[in-house]
Amino acid sequence: MTRVLWFTRTVRYRSLIAVLVSSLALPGCMVVRANQREFHAKRAMTNDRDPGEVRFGQHATGSREGADGGTGQPGGGCGCN
Amino acid sequence: MRLQLGPGTTGRRPARPAAAAALVALAVLAPPGARRASEAHADGTLSMRGVYYKERATRVMQPMLDGAFEAGERGLVTAHLLVDAITSASQSSGAVAAEPFTERRYEGGVGYAHQLSVGKLGAEVKYSTEPDYKSLYAGLRAEAELAQKNTVLGLGGGLGRDTVSGGPASGLGQLLLQCDPQVEQEQDECSLHTYAVFASASQIVSRTAVIGVSADFAALRGYQSNPYRSAIVGAGTSIGTLRERHPDQRNRTALAASARYYVRQTQTTLIGAYRYYRDDWKIRAHTPELRAVQLIGEAADATLRYRFHAQTQKAFFYEERYLMEQPFLSDDIKLSKFTTHTLEAKLGVRGEAFGVPERWAGARLEAILQYVIQNNRFGNAIVAHAALTIPFTY
Repeated sequence: MTRVLWFTRTVRYRSLIAVLVSSLALPGCMVVRANQREFHAKRAMTNDRDPGEVRFGQHATGSREGADGGTGQPGGGCGCN
Repeated sequence: MRLQLGPGTTGRRPARPAAAAALVALAVLAPPGARRASEAHADGTLSMRGVYYKERATRVMQPMLDGAFEAGERGLVTAHLLVDAITSASQSSGAVAAEPFTERRYEGGVGYAHQLSVGKLGAEVKYSTEPDYKSLYAGLRAEAELAQKNTVLGLGGGLGRDTVSGGPASGLGQLLLQCDPQVEQEQDECSLHTYAVFASASQIVSRTAVIGVSADFAALRGYQSNPYRSAIVGAGTSIGTLRERHPDQRNRTALAASARYYVRQTQTTLIGAYRYYRDDWKIRAHTPELRAVQLIGEAADATLRYRFHAQTQKAFFYEERYLMEQPFLSDDIKLSKFTTHTLEAKLGVRGEAFGVPERWAGARLEAILQYVIQNNRFGNAIVAHAALTIPFTY
């Protein structure tokens, strides 16, 4: 029970559910077919930052800011906590 | 983990996964023309990047190597290796009158993503080691592609285990650590466990626009202090320092939203992002960011970026100076209220702009210059990147 309460408080599942439900509702708005997505194939429209650039940026902000995260995945250890 | 195929990796042809790692090196090292076209099986990229970071008390050089290559018809293997060389810094991370030191951190990681008919599955493992800090992280991620890939939903999780010590094991001058802030007993090393969950969603909303949201949750359990930092405690003539003592539990939440819009008339991509952060140490932060990526002809692009970060609430136990001893003490200015501004310029050029042979035409040369205004005692920082990404076939 304690673990359930901890999960409720910490994971804030309501936010998670809201994100997922909103996303599931979005496809109904519009479907852009594959042959209409030429602009989405541009580098800047998919991912304009290389893995190494992103990784260094996360490491730098993680060791200089107390508000790490929000980038889609957590980082590892850094040694400069 | 990197689930999207990068430029130059979109062709899917059969390959032998077992031989892939050796072939990566062979493909890159082999001189142009050494391979016949009929031997080609799959594509990959190899990226070499060097980063230089300098601020008032810290100077870092980080060379790194990233590889991505196809494995089989539906697999993508990624790997990276880096060295973090802190050549002049303070272990106490900006503390006043800290002793200079030199240290190196080595990190390696490998990931695999498999394309399914309805999405992707991926896994990643990475390990980082330095004399006083070891870190192991493993994560899984699943993506569902819906509505003709207009919608992508992602869900993942990860586990991390860090081991912290107060210097080289068994060496002279090794600090003993108080792993539990409630228990006086000190030990050679302490551990920190991280449990993370993250979810994301992206949606194409027009022929030129895509939006995304993400939510990250992380629960940290274990030692979260810096063994080299001390807080100032006392008043009047009885002022002293006591070792930093942070809570051993922390729950972190970050919610983010982003949008990308392509302006056809000018060939400009506008990217906006915003992130809200909160945790149970009472820290609150807002981080908006703007980027503009301008295509320059067919072979070059330039990016301008501005990022603002404001920590609007400090940790509940953080004080610049403590009048008397408290259960928790900190000298970590990351836990204070402050703002940062990041200005960045980036230029990327493909090899074809230099008229090089066909093999190198798809290579990408990149340079980044950043100036970070930090309104705290870290002081302002400059960051410079230089990178070369080479596509190859094996």
